[in-house]
Amino acid sequence: MTGMYRLSTRDIPPGLREPNWADVLAKLELRYGGNSIPVLDETAGATVSCSTRQSLFVRLNGNSQTLCSQPRDRIRSGSTMLVLTVLEGTMQVLEHGVSEQLGRGGIILLNPDQDWQLLLSDNFRAMAIRLESTGFLLRLVRSGRAGTNRIHTDHGVGALCLDLIHSIAGQLENLGAQELTVIETNLSEMLITALSRETVADVDDNTNVQLLHLRRLCGAIDGRLGDPDLNIDQIAEQEGLSTRYLQKLFRNSGTTFSEYVKHRRVQHCCLDLVNPALDGFSIAEICFRWGFNDAGNFSRVFSQIMKVSPRAYRASPPPDPRQHLHRGQPHSWLHTGPHPESAGGNHLHKRQQPFRDLLHDHTRYALSLHLAPKRIATTHRKPSERQNRPEHYYLPASDRTVHWGYFSRDISPVLTICSGDIVTVETLSQHASDDWERMIAGDPGAEAVFHWTADRKNVDRRGAGPMDASVCGRGAGEGFGVHICTGPIYIRDAEPGDVLEVRILDIQSRPSCHADHEGRCFGSNAATWWGFHYHDMLTEPKKREVVTIYEVHQRPAPHARAVYNFRWTPQTDPFGVRHETIDYPGVPVDHDTVHKNYGVLQKARIPVRPHFGVLAVAPREGTTVDSIPPSYFGGNLDNWRAGKGSSLFLPVSVKGALFSVGDPHASQGDSELCGTAIECSLTGVFQLVVHKRTALQGRFLENLSHPFLETPEEWVIQGLSFADYQAELGAKAQTQVYKDSSMESAMRDAFRKTRHYLMTEHQLTEDEAISLMSVAVDFGITQVVDGNIGVHAVIRKSVFPDWPSAPPETTSGQQSGKP
Amino acid sequence: MTNHICNASCNHGITAENESDIREEFDTARRSFLKTALMGSGAVSLGAMGVTMSPMAGAATSSAGASGSGPMHYFIPATAETVLWGHFSKIAKAVVEVESGDFVTIETLTHHANDDADRMVKGDPGAESVFFWDNNRKGVDRRGAGPMDAEIGAGAGAGVHICTGPVRIKGAEPGDVLEVRIADVFPRPSGNPDFKGKTFGSNAAAWWGFHYGDMLTEPKKREVITIFEVDATGERNWAKAVYNFRWTPQKDPFGVVHSTIDYPGVPVDHSTISRNNDVLKDIRIPIRPHFGTIGVAPAEADIVDSIPPSYTGGNIDNWRIGKGAKLFFPVAVDGANFSVGDPHASQGDSELCGTAIECSLTGVFQFILHKKADLPDTPLAELNYPLLETQDDWVLHGFSYANYLAELGAGAQQEIYSQSSVDKALRDAYHKMRHFLMNTQKLSEDEAIALMSVAVDFGITQVVDGNWGVHAILKKSMFPARA
Repeated sequence: MTGMYRLSTRDIPPGLREPNWADVLAKLELRYGGNSIPVLDETAGATVSCSTRQSLFVRLNGNSQTLCSQPRDRIRSGSTMLVLTVLEGTMQVLEHGVSEQLGRGGIILLNPDQDWQLLLSDNFRAMAIRLESTGFLLRLVRSGRAGTNRIHTDHGVGALCLDLIHSIAGQLENLGAQELTVIETNLSEMLITALSRETVADVDDNTNVQLLHLRRLCGAIDGRLGDPDLNIDQIAEQEGLSTRYLQKLFRNSGTTFSEYVKHRRVQHCCLDLVNPALDGFSIAEICFRWGFNDAGNFSRVFSQIMKVSPRAYRASPPPDPRQHLHRGQPHSWLHTGPHPESAGGNHLHKRQQPFRDLLHDHTRYALSLHLAPKRIATTHRKPSERQNRPEHYYLPASDRTVHWGYFSRDISPVLTICSGDIVTVETLSQHASDDWERMIAGDPGAEAVFHWTADRKNVDRRGAGPMDASVCGRGAGEGFGVHICTGPIYIRDAEPGDVLEVRILDIQSRPSCHADHEGRCFGSNAATWWGFHYHDMLTEPKKREVVTIYEVHQRPAPHARAVYNFRWTPQTDPFGVRHETIDYPGVPVDHDTVHKNYGVLQKARIPVRPHFGVLAVAPREGTTVDSIPPSYFGGNLDNWRAGKGSSLFLPVSVKGALFSVGDPHASQGDSELCGTAIECSLTGVFQLVVHKRTALQGRFLENLSHPFLETPEEWVIQGLSFADYQAELGAKAQTQVYKDSSMESAMRDAFRKTRHYLMTEHQLTEDEAISLMSVAVDFGITQVVDGNIGVHAVIRKSVFPDWPSAPPETTSGQQSGKP
Repeated sequence: MTNHICNASCNHGITAENESDIREEFDTARRSFLKTALMGSGAVSLGAMGVTMSPMAGAATSSAGASGSGPMHYFIPATAETVLWGHFSKIAKAVVEVESGDFVTIETLTHHANDDADRMVKGDPGAESVFFWDNNRKGVDRRGAGPMDAEIGAGAGAGVHICTGPVRIKGAEPGDVLEVRIADVFPRPSGNPDFKGKTFGSNAAAWWGFHYGDMLTEPKKREVITIFEVDATGERNWAKAVYNFRWTPQKDPFGVVHSTIDYPGVPVDHSTISRNNDVLKDIRIPIRPHFGTIGVAPAEADIVDSIPPSYTGGNIDNWRIGKGAKLFFPVAVDGANFSVGDPHASQGDSELCGTAIECSLTGVFQFILHKKADLPDTPLAELNYPLLETQDDWVLHGFSYANYLAELGAGAQQEIYSQSSVDKALRDAYHKMRHFLMNTQKLSEDEAIALMSVAVDFGITQVVDGNWGVHAILKKSMFPARA
């Protein structure tokens, strides 16, 4: 990670430790305090990371020492703020003659311009953040009451601040400068909220009251920007202020309410337009999202403010949207709005300045907040305030958001949403480590998940096996299950017996981050020992595994072409375990040990069918379940029809459903013959809709006990050799399923499920159903390599011309299926 | 001999202007198949079987060959004299001998037509001659490859499909490849004036279906026949159910009682069954007209059961064998002895309940012979199974036993019914696809296997024909250099 700096006193001889430590402290505008330089033992360490705005994030640990602010005579920017949090141990703060004791979980804000002293206990761990350009935050601190600026972290926004700082401390190694910038603004915003709540009582100055009101209004407006009917009267009523007063506040800031709203909306649209995760949304959809109710009008307003059309803006956005917006000079509404100073002259300008600053600050923070992953910004509105509008979330793939190779009802959710909400979920292929350079290097998410050195493996458990690898010795989890699953996502309204509909709205590829391959997409296909072809080869050596790396091209039409292949050679993982075959996921392939054959499949252009091999809810069983055999809860279905535009229905077994997704594929053929598809990291946009059982009465979905897929043209019923292998095979199910599976039983299951579907959903008699299946239903081989073999039945919707074609529009939890 | 080689813009000699003429000609021929009168407009009758022949309009006029100015167009009506019922045979006398490049319009009849003779046999002279059966005589006595003195009926119903042919291809020898192009397929209208303009088909959920023995409702061991209606003009692209009925024991005109559907062509006495109208209401079955049984005669036995498909084709039951398809068969006997039957209006992959919408159709076929000597270094070299090429795909047919007659030995024709599995069929499809990719695309084994996993779709063709089938579909667009 660029800008990452680490220091550990263990690596520094005694005597040199103190000056090096002092360098780190100086970055935080700290120096040794008291009368003596502390003696550092070998346990002290610091991890320093820097945001693009030059703010510093430092995780510190060490033994007892006294620190204080830098001498006053140093030249400063005047807008720096130090945020200190104690992770372990205690810290005593002496400021303005007041002493405050901070324990684990305390947060304090310090102005480096002032005098204060810190006394750190033995074995402390702390997170120190030096925030740059925090003019507004600093004003709050200055205008606050005398004494320390301590944030109360036991409840409310303060508690969220603490969580966020804890998360930053945990993830510091995995956060890049760009991400830190986002988090930084996010954190500032939260601190402002926390502080203003605590200082409001002390404000008596008229201007300050007005500023506080204005800030509150900005927050209120931001929460309702998506409402096309938003008007000043509503906001005034909501905030208990008069409309006239609101008008005055905005006039003081040199703008008007409607101008402000318009600009805020355009700014949000700008961000959405350049957000690659929203590529699949049309410009109209984006403008509707932010409260414009007429695309033509939006286009005009946008062009007027941004001096460029939305389409052109999307086609060639400014290099860095944040920078652009922060600079804001040519486009900022503050400067293109009415110019009241022409009449009022300097005095008026001066009086307006704090109001303008506030709006400007607010804009910055609110925008950054919007950019930040929603998982961190847990400031979620209550369902009652949602106004039936689905929320959008972004769930990145990282070592904190994935579970590798297993399902369980006991995995803590990484995100909580309501039925109808939309989540963009990043997924990673477990085969990315076949070519680290192309598929992992430089990609913070992939690096976090695959990180594996001699002393650290970020995601240790890979599979449902024992953590001590006592069965086969392959590694933690034993590779009994291989898929990297992002999630789980807890859906508030879901309860056992309900049906979760997973609507796949869009699928995007995940480009390489390595400088040599930047922006290109790659995938891996491994012909492995569990493939149908193994033991049945013509050429020597008969027992070989071959990995083929593909590149996915978008033009002219999306297709994949092979780059090279190589034969698997025994690979020794960073923990020293040798893998003769592909028996454990995520083992980095040492490319010095393999021979690459370029020019393979030179003429073949493989049409892509982006889809997710694994789509699952948590199983009802209390055990840890291997991710490989598909079952009643979904899982590793490996059906390429689960692509964009389709909906998968899964029976909910546990409260919250606990949805996970992974095993992304660029393309696969029916049967997945050699063991894998083109395994290729993808990002999906999903809408998760809960169908309450009570609303499904009399319908097929009421008693759904298996995955059911609906594509725009077809219904696909997934038969499995064992519909519920754990119930059917008992204690040894997870072993037995690999041995007892057959295509006949999968075909039998597909037949029975299809008959059931036709008889319940379409009210056919058994004779009708059987005749129809023979003359109009296509049975295909889904996969023969996942233990529990799959056969699917495809029913074309055109067979039922009177059947309602579109699923019902759903925005909240209490929805039925088709009318 | 002039080879008419099709290309992208080829209309197989059939143009909008002459299409109606040709159809008219077929209709005339069908009406007068028993007569020996000379046909008009250059068509000549060939013997007493109703086969006629005329030069292809507008085709290959510039070249001069031994037999005239270009490929000939033959017409074979389906009659008792032009069909083999329930078997393939290398010793059967050919109905007609054609040259490579010639076209043949062939009528085919479904063996389920007697499920509703009123709709599918009555008033249709061809069907009436084939299905004729009174106390003394059957229009076609042998039905199946079994013994002629079987209690159940001649041929024992060991093979059920009415196959028109055989067509002998001049110069075809073992080791050659016969290419059969299906230029057109159209439904056979009912001959009964009460059902003018309509075509009918029958679907039997029979004892050999995958569902049999695994039913939910009583009586668990039942056979059910559903009659479907298809638009005879071909304009409406879907079929609808008319009624269904449960099979009741039927006594055939020779007095044998058939308590299940165990012998083909037994006339169903509609006074013994009860019709359920209103079945599959408002449901439209998209039609996929195709020929379930199509192939050349195998070398292993003189008379071979038509049910299990094999290396020479036969009862493949793949709905992709329709208009525009090209099939390639390894020739096993001199003259190839091609025959076609088991016409289907539609079928799903797996043919779950035992049959499709069994519905008489007429096809226009062109035959092209690829001599063994010309095969090396072409995609057809070493072809030893029926290969299908459609507009967009190559489709390879795997069977539980690629050549069951050779693999299972003397008892093969009985054994095959108890030895099949989908697993074996997938194994065979994998082997064939690997060979195809390595042979035609010059891929290494590793490349072939990788490609199969990521871009080849394996589907279940049928699980009801004794020798179960799994097909592998490879998109032609994947190799743009060749397309």
